[in-house]
Amino acid sequence: MGYDRDLSFVYFGPTKIVFGAGTSRDVDIEMAGLGCRKALVVTDPGVMKAGLVEGVREALGERCAGVWSDVPQDTGIGVVNSAAAFAREKGVDCVVSVGGGSVIDTGKGICILLMEGGGLENFEGIQLLTRPQTPHIVIPTTAGTGSEVTCMAVILDERKGQKMLIVEYFNAPRIAILDPKMTERLPPLLTASTGMDAMTHAVEALQSLSREPIADGLAMQAIRLLHRDLPVCTENGADLAARGQTQLAATMAGWAFGNAMVGLVHAMAHSIGAIARVPHGIANGILLPHVMAFNRDDAAEGYAMVAEALGVREKGMDEREAAEAAITAIRSFLERIGHPLRLSEVGVTDEDIAKSAALSLSDGAIVNNPRPVLDEEEVIAVYRAAF
Amino acid sequence: MAKYNAMTQEWLDAWKQKIATSKEYKEIAKNWEGSVSIIVNPDPEKGIPEPIYVFTDYWHGDVLDFLICDKAKAESARFVMSGDYTRWKQVAKKEVDSTKALMQGKLKLKGDLTYVVRNIKTVNKVIDLLCEIETIWPDEA
Ligand SMILES: [Fe+2]
Repeated sequence: MGYDRDLSFVYFGPTKIVFGAGTSRDVDIEMAGLGCRKALVVTDPGVMKAGLVEGVREALGERCAGVWSDVPQDTGIGVVNSAAAFAREKGVDCVVSVGGGSVIDTGKGICILLMEGGGLENFEGIQLLTRPQTPHIVIPTTAGTGSEVTCMAVILDERKGQKMLIVEYFNAPRIAILDPKMTERLPPLLTASTGMDAMTHAVEALQSLSREPIADGLAMQAIRLLHRDLPVCTENGADLAARGQTQLAATMAGWAFGNAMVGLVHAMAHSIGAIARVPHGIANGILLPHVMAFNRDDAAEGYAMVAEALGVREKGMDEREAAEAAITAIRSFLERIGHPLRLSEVGVTDEDIAKSAALSLSDGAIVNNPRPVLDEEEVIAVYRAAF
Repeated sequence: MAKYNAMTQEWLDAWKQKIATSKEYKEIAKNWEGSVSIIVNPDPEKGIPEPIYVFTDYWHGDVLDFLICDKAKAESARFVMSGDYTRWKQVAKKEVDSTKALMQGKLKLKGDLTYVVRNIKTVNKVIDLLCEIETIWPDEA
């Protein structure tokens, strides 16, 4: 296996994992273990409606100082600032996020403001903080984003109409509680698309210019588990064992990409998400095999590992053949889990493609893509192939 | 070739001159707008008793101010990068990649990372040109 002989990297993954059906009820014990007394529960209206917050609130009892449930699909500076003001009023010393990526990133933003004061607009940047931030417990309600274990948050700057990136080692969540019951009622399409977000994190970590052995190991296991259990979840959402394995896979993929970074799939998915409102997981899922085809010659080694994890690397196959087999396997996997296959199916127009291609070139994710992306035309061609 | 003491005004002038006379830079950086400051944290053992503040300014392929400055001026830049002396030296010698150093917490960035990424060729060219200057580092002098 080829790592540079002078390989040098930092692996960062300080989050404690609590796993098992019903463990979201242990949130009070975990919180006490952090030495915290008053929590703000952060969530969104969908999660509230699904009744997932009630159990957490009950378990917290008096430790729950309030619930902030106004997180939109894409969180923004204004949302975080208002939620932090509410949290300050309540005198909280801990944040408990119950939800998907947008909720978790809101929680991360609140943690910074509770410790540092001010508005979130002052914290755009990388590794600016100099001390540990407010303790954050995350209870994911999807198996996909991996945000429960990363130190990154993506927050919309409403005034500029641009996403703002905050990367802070000091703000990684302290604890992630992976309770399969929290994902039990996720409908099949959402299960498939959030799962494909996790799959994309793992594949992009393996192809990354910053790949390293720890992230590679986590990504491989994430792919194995998703490959085995995601189809079970889309067929029978109530299978808690399979739900649990996909949650673990999403978390492992989170560690993998949180360290090795993502690539062109994410750059293109962020852009088509911003322009045509395609949900993140769906965009990733549709684009993944097409970007793999684009990267094939520059990422054969990583893709051969993907093939191995998917169980399609046959004896005697060289790396290129294995990479090809991986791409084919991802395509049929998408069909198997009932995931959309074309951008045109999800409302993308020709016009959206040109705008999104331009935006993709300025997305941070592109830096670690194994094949250098030189101009818009190349990105347009990939979008068209997926159209 | 003349040698310059790192992080002095003479060294900055030489660096600015390199950039200003590079045709390649002019082409690559034609879209870049804005100033970048570099803050070097003090490290008395390495010969840096006080923090050093450097302000550099670029506009569509042209080079504007390149100054040793004070804290307030440094913090007024569009992008503020800070870090320990040893890390900066590694970046200046291209021993570590600047974006990697940021993501790994070896350097800090205040500002919009996506803009830096979109213009990563410009950033790399500026560092390449710095490498061409014969530099005397305080802990090697
Ligand atoms: Fe993602």
